[in-house]
Amino acid sequence: MTGLFKTRLQRHLREMAKYLRLVFNDFFVFALLFLMGGLGYGYSNMLKTLKTGYWWAPVVALLVLVIVAQIGRFATLIEDADRVFLLPKERAMHAYLVAARRYSQGLAQATQVIAVFLLAPFMSVTMAWPVLSLVELGLAQIILKDALLRLDLASAYQVTGQTRMNRWEFKWLLSIVVLAAGLWTLPLVAVGLALILDIAVAVWYAQHWQKQQIRWREQIKIEDNRMLGIYRFFNMFTEVPMLAGTIKRRRYLDGLFKLIKPRHDKFYLYLYSRGMVRGSEFSGLVVRLTVIGMLLLYFVRGEWLPVILAALFIYLIGFQLLPFFQQYEDIVFTHVYPILPAQRLKSFVTLITLILSVAALLLWLVVVVANPHLMTAGITLLVEVVEVWYLARIYTPQRLARSIENRA
Amino acid sequence: MALEVSHVVGGYSQIPVLKDISFDVKDGELVGLIGLNGAGKSTTINHVIGLLTPHKGTITLNGVTIDQDSQAYKQQIAYIPETPVLYQELTLREHLEVTMMAYDLDHDQAWTTAHELLKTFRLDNKLDWFPANFSKGMKQKVMIVCAFLTQAKLFIIDEPFLGLDPLAVNDLLNLIEDRKKKGASILMSTHVLDTAQRYCDRFVLLHDGQVKTEGTLSELQAALPEAGESLNDIYLSMTKVDRA
Repeated sequence: MTGLFKTRLQRHLREMAKYLRLVFNDFFVFALLFLMGGLGYGYSNMLKTLKTGYWWAPVVALLVLVIVAQIGRFATLIEDADRVFLLPKERAMHAYLVAARRYSQGLAQATQVIAVFLLAPFMSVTMAWPVLSLVELGLAQIILKDALLRLDLASAYQVTGQTRMNRWEFKWLLSIVVLAAGLWTLPLVAVGLALILDIAVAVWYAQHWQKQQIRWREQIKIEDNRMLGIYRFFNMFTEVPMLAGTIKRRRYLDGLFKLIKPRHDKFYLYLYSRGMVRGSEFSGLVVRLTVIGMLLLYFVRGEWLPVILAALFIYLIGFQLLPFFQQYEDIVFTHVYPILPAQRLKSFVTLITLILSVAALLLWLVVVVANPHLMTAGITLLVEVVEVWYLARIYTPQRLARSIENRA
Repeated sequence: MALEVSHVVGGYSQIPVLKDISFDVKDGELVGLIGLNGAGKSTTINHVIGLLTPHKGTITLNGVTIDQDSQAYKQQIAYIPETPVLYQELTLREHLEVTMMAYDLDHDQAWTTAHELLKTFRLDNKLDWFPANFSKGMKQKVMIVCAFLTQAKLFIIDEPFLGLDPLAVNDLLNLIEDRKKKGASILMSTHVLDTAQRYCDRFVLLHDGQVKTEGTLSELQAALPEAGESLNDIYLSMTKVDRA
């Protein structure tokens, strides 16, 4: 079973490496370096203004450490099919889960060490802690994280008649008690408490895992959520195929849909508009790009730069929306229902026009607010109108008509 | 003659799965399409609903082919797939509405029918649910409700009996019976042979992309006298001949 985890881990790491290469491209690394430099500079400047003896200093330290202690989740790499295929191997899963916890330690503990390291200057300035105490506190933090991860491991098994022991309330409470004791008395007390906790969980776990069943469904859900979070992060930088997007009802927008009359020729407008708004994939894209564009336009000055930027963002939004046309290609009724492809195209063009117009209007309003020149605002409006018209009414139908023909 | 499949050669790629098949479904008739996994049932259905284009041969529905007038052809068909297919972003209510729009049904009249159907299949309190919240059986019921909402002349039902509870199977059979009386035709593929035997008017036995035999149960019995009485026996003996 340890072998199975190793194979999965290799596959997982390969996948992560692939995405990380895309995320940490040259520009991003550059920006990140600047950001870190800036933050570091700001932090050191702030430290210079602080003195020893603030009552709130330990509270801040506690808050930071407690939050950091929650970072670094138990990565099991369990898959949905496991509850069928690995069910007969339930006892052997122990070795798998232990291996998974060992792997999870790596990133989690690195985070703890870095956090304590970063917090150390603050504590030595405001609380006048010697280096030894800081090291002891770091040790307590590491043991605490170890205990929390062990709690996650133990909670993979169901104990009859008991609620999950790794609920977030428990974890927060435990972290607060251990770290507060360390911060307000001696750091060694925190080390002691964390050790007691860790050993207690270990003993409890050793006693019950052989008798209990794994909470398959919950573990699968937890792991799915964990991966979803990672994919979401990557999705900000690149396309992630695993991310199907979530669907939200957004009932407050139902009034908007009422404007579309349920008539035969409006079939696709009805479908596309709801799909666009309730699915997060494309609507998220539009919202993100519009907001970024608005922010950028707010800070940008000049006669021509706002015009170019506004045009660029409308182009980006419009271009990224084109694949939405194929959204329902896999659904058999797209082909079986008696609706002419021309109507589908017409509905799509209407939708694109609508979305781009709203985005253009928002971008334009920012330009008007941010720029004193009437001239710039006027030209922006003109360019936007022409661009939306061309993109939605001319370019989109041409391009998509070709894709329809290719299929037929 | 509602549906007429004549000398169709076809499949997903250039390699034909269907090797020259011909059969028909008359008005007010329920025809069972029977065959092993991979015999070509789904391929046949995909050709009839227009997802695939035959390499050779024609499929005519009340005198129109899909090439002549795709609207007139598709307008006459309601399809219930084997695996339910739903729009993830639409609620049950919106699925019904979309179906009404697609087939250009009269709104009020269609909703009256819809409410009856929803009640029959115990979905009437789930109008605002998303497909993600439905079980597989419920999704299948949604498909049935959407299909029987239409006034289609030909219903194409791909393996309807698996996954439905006995009550729903019974309700579906009643619906089929009712539409047959109104003159609609039904082409249904299934593996549940004893149900098929009781309800289908005629059978088309597909094997290895060919129509092995077709006809009513008594015709099949006459054609294969040594095979046995039931559709199950006839079907098994037919596949055995091929295996030997």
